[in-house]
Amino acid sequence: MPERQLPESFADLEPLVAWALETERERTRKRLSSSMDEIQAFYNAIFPRMETVLNYLNQFPLQAMPVDAQRLLYLTLSLAEVSMAVELFKQPSVPDGYDLTRFVPVHK
Amino acid sequence: MAAVATGNVSTTPNGNTWHAQYPELGTGPAPIEPYISQEYFELERERIFRKVWLNVGREEEIPKPGDYLVKDLPVCNTSILVVRGKDGRVRAFHNVCSHRSNKVVWDQQGSCQTFACKFHGWTYNLEGQLSFVPDEKSFFDLKKGGLGLTAVTADTWQGFIFIHLDPQPTETLSEYLGELGKRLTEYPFTEYSATRFVWQTELRTNWKLIKDAFQEAYHVAFVHKRSIPDAVTSKENPFCHALDIKLYPHHRSLSLYGNPAHKPTPIEALAYRFGNLILRNEYSTQHLPPGVNPTKSQSWSLDLNVIFPNFFVDVTEGTYFTYNIWPMAVDRTLWEVRAYYPQAQSAGQRFSQEYSKVFFRDALMEDANTLEATQSVLASGAKAHFILQDQELLIRHDHKVHEDFVGFYRQGQR
Repeated sequence: MPERQLPESFADLEPLVAWALETERERTRKRLSSSMDEIQAFYNAIFPRMETVLNYLNQFPLQAMPVDAQRLLYLTLSLAEVSMAVELFKQPSVPDGYDLTRFVPVHK
Repeated sequence: MAAVATGNVSTTPNGNTWHAQYPELGTGPAPIEPYISQEYFELERERIFRKVWLNVGREEEIPKPGDYLVKDLPVCNTSILVVRGKDGRVRAFHNVCSHRSNKVVWDQQGSCQTFACKFHGWTYNLEGQLSFVPDEKSFFDLKKGGLGLTAVTADTWQGFIFIHLDPQPTETLSEYLGELGKRLTEYPFTEYSATRFVWQTELRTNWKLIKDAFQEAYHVAFVHKRSIPDAVTSKENPFCHALDIKLYPHHRSLSLYGNPAHKPTPIEALAYRFGNLILRNEYSTQHLPPGVNPTKSQSWSLDLNVIFPNFFVDVTEGTYFTYNIWPMAVDRTLWEVRAYYPQAQSAGQRFSQEYSKVFFRDALMEDANTLEATQSVLASGAKAHFILQDQELLIRHDHKVHEDFVGFYRQGQR
């Protein structure tokens, strides 16, 4: 049985743990290499829980978060990463857009 | 009083066009030639980039003595080393060894006590002085005192580090920034600079084409129809006509409309509950200085400020962003984008900043795609001119300021 990756009260989000990515580069890569169905499934699972997730995470100082809470935070950052794709573009990449992989983040 | 868009005519508060305030600029077409001419590009290197103050970073990037950053400037055939000295002062030097001109510092940033050239070990201190030469006695009459790194003038404004390649610039940084600099003086740059997101890309396009893309809002209804369907446009203002435009001798500013009836998407609404977003924020006219949102409009989104030649500082409540646009060749440019936010105090704020940052970045991907496409046909010979409307006044002014410096079309030279 694989070890729990997220805080216990969010066990329902464990199937999404592949989206718990630390850096923007990784999150962008996952977004661009996922199908719209996969992205939509991720959104559908996490968006309804976001209030609870953020209220839970807000109890920790950002610089000193337990590892499982940090993974949960990364899930929310992935939601931000796919937000445009889900709500506006209806596709993973920016329509008529510049190649996102050429727009290189210097930050994490 | 805010500007009003009425039908096809753009109007300033007194009913004229923005162009009417600057009749010396005219209203005719502007030449494409400066964007494709190798000769013009070489003149820009000499007559613009060696003659102006250039932003190369911010003080937060080099907070402690010994911290340094390197900015390669191929447009000036150099690399600039910016270092905070033991005395806390920021100094800048050509990153060029006095011995045989090797590049001294090869990484982009770091921290150290001395700089040692990898070629023959010549060593410089944090003040740029030559402190050690291996096998010194094999040299002839070596006077280390005169062999430090060659300094370039450096100064800071609101935490932004600028350099000037002229050892005796004709204007101080403050004089160069002039009235626009004064307008932005009380903007909380330092508070908003605690968090910095930085992207870089190299585009196959002339640097001025990138500037043009971000000096007008006419494109928003088309380029950003998916990402920004109603945040800066509305039935009353379908083409995002400016609230205000001001042209200075070199620099310029455009105050951008914001639609108070914008309908947030679900994630946007969620993110907004936890922090300010780039196109949606709580602002008060008391918090921002009088120079920001100059018309004090309730239908405001941000101010676009262009510091000649290549530095954009676009500001709103709670966040700001910058572009540094570095020419590399007549048809190649390094574009750096930085988005700044205050220190996130909570996961909720971190999430809202991430949403705002992704929104901004994805919208830029819509802008960037037109640039290489345009450049690929710019030298076709099909067209010789750009046609500029009233809302594209900033582009017209930029043509004029380039010509002030470059003098390509002056009598007798063409």
